[in-house]
Amino acid sequence: MADAARKVEAPAGGDLVLEGVTSGYGAVSVVKGVSLRVAPGEIVALLGKNGMGKTTLLKTILGMTPLSGGAIAVDGASVAGLSPAKLVALGVGYAPQELALFQDLSIRDNLRLALSSDKRLPEALERVFGHFPFLADRLSQHAGTLSGGEQKMLILARALMLKPRLLLIDEISEGLQPSVVDRIATALAHERAASGASMLIVEQNLDFALRVADRWAVLKLGEIDDEGGVDETARSRALAHLGV
Amino acid sequence: MLLVLDILTTAAILFVVSIGLLAVFGVLKIINFAHGAWLTIGAYCAVVAAKLGLNPWAALPLAFVVGGALGGLTELFIIRPLYRRPLDAILATWGLGIVIGQLITLGFGRDVQMTPNLVSGTVEIFGADYSAYRLATLGAAIVIGVAFALTIGGTRLGLSARAVIMNETLARGLGIDTARVRLFTFMMGAGLAALAGVLLTPLTSVDPNMGVGWLIGAFMLVMVADASFLALGVACLVFGAAQVLVSTFVSPILGSIAIAVLAALVLRVSPKGFSRA
Repeated sequence: MADAARKVEAPAGGDLVLEGVTSGYGAVSVVKGVSLRVAPGEIVALLGKNGMGKTTLLKTILGMTPLSGGAIAVDGASVAGLSPAKLVALGVGYAPQELALFQDLSIRDNLRLALSSDKRLPEALERVFGHFPFLADRLSQHAGTLSGGEQKMLILARALMLKPRLLLIDEISEGLQPSVVDRIATALAHERAASGASMLIVEQNLDFALRVADRWAVLKLGEIDDEGGVDETARSRALAHLGV
Repeated sequence: MLLVLDILTTAAILFVVSIGLLAVFGVLKIINFAHGAWLTIGAYCAVVAAKLGLNPWAALPLAFVVGGALGGLTELFIIRPLYRRPLDAILATWGLGIVIGQLITLGFGRDVQMTPNLVSGTVEIFGADYSAYRLATLGAAIVIGVAFALTIGGTRLGLSARAVIMNETLARGLGIDTARVRLFTFMMGAGLAALAGVLLTPLTSVDPNMGVGWLIGAFMLVMVADASFLALGVACLVFGAAQVLVSTFVSPILGSIAIAVLAALVLRVSPKGFSRA
C-alpha cells in the first residue's frame, strides 16, 4: 500500500479500547478477557481460525451480543450496553460477514439503509461511487443479483456511506478473487487517508490483513494469543499461530 | 356481472380487514390475536361519532387515531416486554382481545349498536341495481392499498420496515432502530384495523364480539400471504371469489367456511402460501 494512503494528516478516527472483554451466548463465554486498542486512524487486523470468537467480539462491540465482563470504550466513553443504533450514531460502521445484504432490495435501498435520513444521500453516494464506480450505473438492480465480489463491495460501500469514524469489518475478503481483494484494499486505504477512520478488521486472509493493517492480533479460543505491528516478522509470527 | 362485482367487493372487504394484521405479522413476526378487538374498537368509534352527532365520515380518522394510539400503548407495555418470547406475545394479544371485548361490553352493553350509513342507496350498473356502499368499499380498499404501498415503498419507515421483515438482525446491525419500526408498525396495524372496523359497520352488526369472525378470516389470509402485500391481494381475490361462488351456488353456510378450508388446502400444498419467498 502506498505510504500516502497509510498516513493520516489529521486523524478523525474513533479510539476503540477493549479491556478484559468477555461475552458469549448464555452461559458459554466465546470471548474471554480480550484487551485491544484501535487508536485513532489505525487499522488493526484481528486474525484467527473459524470459531475463535472474532465475529462474536465484533458483535459485542456493536452491542448485538451482550457483554458479560470487561469494558468497551469509544473515545474514552463507555459504549457497553448501547444499542447498535446509538453506536452507529456515534460513527461506528459495520460490514458484516454473512447474510449481509437485503437481497430483494435495490442497491440504492441497501445503501440508503446505512443513513438515518436521505438528506446526506447524494453526498454519501458520490463518496462510495469514488471507491466502487460500478455501483453508480446499477442503483436500481437488486442486490441479490450481484456477483459474490460485487456483493462484498456493496457491503463495504454501505458501511462507508456513514463516513464512519470507526469501522468494524468482518471477513470482507472471504472467497474473493485477488482483483476484488485489491479493490477492497485500495478502498480501505483511500478511506482511511481521506477521513482518518479507524478500522478493526476481522480476517483469515493473512496477505490482505497485513497489507492494509498497521497492527495485528491473533484470537485463539476467545483470547488474544499474540499481537504485534506489521513488520518483517509479522507474517511468520501470525502464520505460526494460524497454522496455515 | 353482478357476481364479478360481488367477488371484487368481497375481496376488497377482506383486504381492508387483513392489511393491518399483515403489517404486524410481517414486522413483528407475531399474529396479533387482538386484531379482531381493534376492528371492534373502530366500529365503536363509529358508534361514538354517531352519538356525538359527528359526520359519519369523521369516524374514519377518529378510529385510525384511536386505534393507532391504543396500538402504540399495547406495543410499548404488553408486546415489547415479550419480544424474546413470541409465543407469550401471541397469547398476550389473545388475552388483550378478550379484555377489550369485556371493556366494550362494560361501556356499551351487549346490545347491537346502530350506526349511520357512510354511503346509502344503490347504483345502476349494467342494468341492475348494486349497493353503492359495497362499491365504496372497493374504492376504500384501493385507497388504503395504494397508501399502504406508498408508505412501504416510498418512505424511510417503509424501507426500514422492509429491511426488518427481510433480516431483522442485519437491520439492527446497521443501526436501524428496530424497536421504533415495530412500534410504528403496530400502531399502523391497529389503526388500519380500527379503520376497517368503521368500514364494516354498514355490513355487519356492531357488538362487542363482532371482530372474532373477521379475525379468523384475516388470520387465514395472512397465513397464506406470508407477509407479502401482493400475495395478500391475490389471496383476498381468490378466497373472496371462492366465498362468493360457494355462497351463491352451494350454500351460504359453506361459503362462510370457504376461506378457512381453502387456506388449509393451500398451506398443505404450499407451506409458503401465495408468497414467492
